[in-house]
Amino acid sequence: MVVSIKFFGMQRVVTKTDGIDMPITERTRVKDVLEYVRHQYPDLNLDEGITLITVNQEIASLDRIIRANDTVSFLPFLSGG
Amino acid sequence: MEILRQINYKLAKVVGGYTDRILRVDLGTQEIIIQELPPDFKNKYIGGRGYALKLIWDGTTRETRSNSPDNILVMASGPLGNEPGFPGTGKFIVGTISPLTDTFVDSNVGGHFGPLLKLTGFDALAVSGISKEDVVILVDGDAQTISIAAAPIYDKEIDEGALSFGQRLLKDVNGGEYSDCLAAVTAGKGACNARFGIVNSLFFDRRRNRIRSKQAGRGGTGTVMRSKGLRGIVVRSSLSKVNGNNAIDKEGVRKAGSQLKEVVSKSDPEQLHLSAWGTPVLSEYMDKFHLFPINNYQYGQSPESSKLFANVFLDRYFSKKIPDGCYYGCNLACAKGAENVELTRGPKAGQKVGIDGPEYETVGAVCCMGIFDPHFVMEYNWYCDEYGIDTISTGVTIGFFMECFERGLLSADDIGYELTFGNIEAADRLLHEIAIAKGFGKVAGQGVSRGKKWVAEKYAARNGTSEDTAIAELNKFAMEVKGLEFSMYITKESLAQQGGYGFALKGPQHDEAWLIFIDQVHKELPTFGDKANALKWFPLIRTWFNATGLCKLPWIDVRNPEAASTDEPAKNLPTLAHYVNYLNATTGSNKNLQDILDDSERLYILQKLINLRQGKGTRAHDQIPLRALGPAYFNEYESRAEYYDGWLQEQLGDNKVPASPEQRHKLLLEKRIEAYQQLSDIVYEKKGFTSEGIPKRETVEKFALMDEQARQLLDEFGV
Repeated sequence: MVVSIKFFGMQRVVTKTDGIDMPITERTRVKDVLEYVRHQYPDLNLDEGITLITVNQEIASLDRIIRANDTVSFLPFLSGG
Repeated sequence: MEILRQINYKLAKVVGGYTDRILRVDLGTQEIIIQELPPDFKNKYIGGRGYALKLIWDGTTRETRSNSPDNILVMASGPLGNEPGFPGTGKFIVGTISPLTDTFVDSNVGGHFGPLLKLTGFDALAVSGISKEDVVILVDGDAQTISIAAAPIYDKEIDEGALSFGQRLLKDVNGGEYSDCLAAVTAGKGACNARFGIVNSLFFDRRRNRIRSKQAGRGGTGTVMRSKGLRGIVVRSSLSKVNGNNAIDKEGVRKAGSQLKEVVSKSDPEQLHLSAWGTPVLSEYMDKFHLFPINNYQYGQSPESSKLFANVFLDRYFSKKIPDGCYYGCNLACAKGAENVELTRGPKAGQKVGIDGPEYETVGAVCCMGIFDPHFVMEYNWYCDEYGIDTISTGVTIGFFMECFERGLLSADDIGYELTFGNIEAADRLLHEIAIAKGFGKVAGQGVSRGKKWVAEKYAARNGTSEDTAIAELNKFAMEVKGLEFSMYITKESLAQQGGYGFALKGPQHDEAWLIFIDQVHKELPTFGDKANALKWFPLIRTWFNATGLCKLPWIDVRNPEAASTDEPAKNLPTLAHYVNYLNATTGSNKNLQDILDDSERLYILQKLINLRQGKGTRAHDQIPLRALGPAYFNEYESRAEYYDGWLQEQLGDNKVPASPEQRHKLLLEKRIEAYQQLSDIVYEKKGFTSEGIPKRETVEKFALMDEQARQLLDEFGV
């Protein structure tokens, strides 16, 4: 089972990829995905104050269980110019 | 240059952000008047938009139209414009009665014009009357003269272009050299021919060693400028811009500015990184969340969208190593630009030009026409600026007519050619036709609202139906409210943003409220009450930015990490605290955030009264097209059926969702219409309006706006 992790904007510059897959178990949670990405890309700042985590385009808590084929994204806050 | 009229004046010193003077020029009589403002004027109307509103309220009538001699074109910064120690202080507004909406519109724009106008000794410039010949106005703070001069004639190509004419003019008045002591506004040939003409704000950028431009794009302010016979305005001042506001508490200004700059420099590179990518960075996020207005707002996402993402413009066009603030001291620096871009289409094909942009809105306008070619975006951007027409209204108007053609409401005979989505050659042709009022361009240059009536007449005559029937069909997808075309966001999945566009006093431009993410993604506005509160709070704080001469982006597009621990992170209150401190340090006031919101509310109610007077102020005028509420046609529903079915299930609860997709589509639209009306009721109540959207007497009195005109108006509406 894998979860798909997508990168946008500056994240693509830092990670040099549009996205990666992460192997998961039935107990994998959003916070595990966050730690995995932090470990893979230590230069990527994913601090809570500046990042919104979504699963399948919906805001997700750190405790949410990840299912196979979910898509996780780390988004900046967008408020409209 | 032939001087037609000139006066000498004594320079007024800026104190605490104000000069307490307005420069008034009547181009009909060539009268130039310096109006001293009473002490309480600034306290009541703040500056910028507030000054424009008051001048329009007092100086025009319900009969005033955009091209009436008594219409006033106001340009004003605000008390906080012109401070290089604080980010985003180059903004000014251009306000007037709009040729698109027939009511007040203003558009904010960056550059050096607003700050330099203040340094020449004026808080605002108000132009009325109509000149018999084309003229320019020169406000020279160094020579302490104000002149009306015959517009110089260079050659046809230069004279017709807003950028070309401005570049030449700025050299011409300064002995053949560019200088950052001068700035200009100009309007081009397209502004004579289309209702959505823009005012270009031109300034010299030493780093690029060329004249750069920003645009007051919305609502046809450039059309008004040209209808007055005004080709350009130049302001000059050699006074230092450092501490240009002569702040009451200079150390307080320094502290507030350095704190905000620190937030921007630390957080922007880890968030949107506007300083590197500019606003086109939004394209990618808009596409991800189905908000990119593809094919006249039918679809929010496309596999082709990535051709218009910011990295494409950064890699191919933007000059990467040049900081690009539109005014000194702004470290957000989002005003990206490109050099030596070769035009491949249109009358200037083969020419290499410098292009300022594109902004996200221009990228969105091109996808609105179903086009995903980044080079066309660059060319479209440049031609619109040079002609002096709004990239947003132009794109939405062309997209609208493309859909009319594709749905059989117009034929190739009506247009002169096949105008289909994604057809670059046809879109390019119509762009130039609009600018020079040729062929179908004469129709398209009137905008969507008037275009709708033209299509209805043609269609009704050809098919033997009534025009009302045709209009009802067109109202499904004609993306305008109050006569103004939508800016570049799909609202089908955010009720709050439907209100953000529908209730916006100037028409559907997002500078009053952009609530899509906090509503649709963050889910921070779950109830009607939450949405209504946001639809009151955000327009008020955004109004304040437009009244003070400030850019909103360092506040709204850079999330302060400290906001996460506040009750309402979307308001970014820790950053707003720096703005409050900056205000108090500059003007010597002792205001808090609520005081600022109260000040803004007075301006908001005054603008509402103008709308009411001009026939655009009731509930009927806040109605939005069906496509803004949901999928107007079945093809749109089908493209997001899973989402729409889920939404319908949530609304119906235990009630059964209809079996057929067609029934689900129909029911969905009924529910969306119902929800918008419910939202309207609650929003009007929160804003102190009647259920018809008219300000109650106590609301007008609360803000000391009950003058004789307001009293008569409310009497007339039975309030």
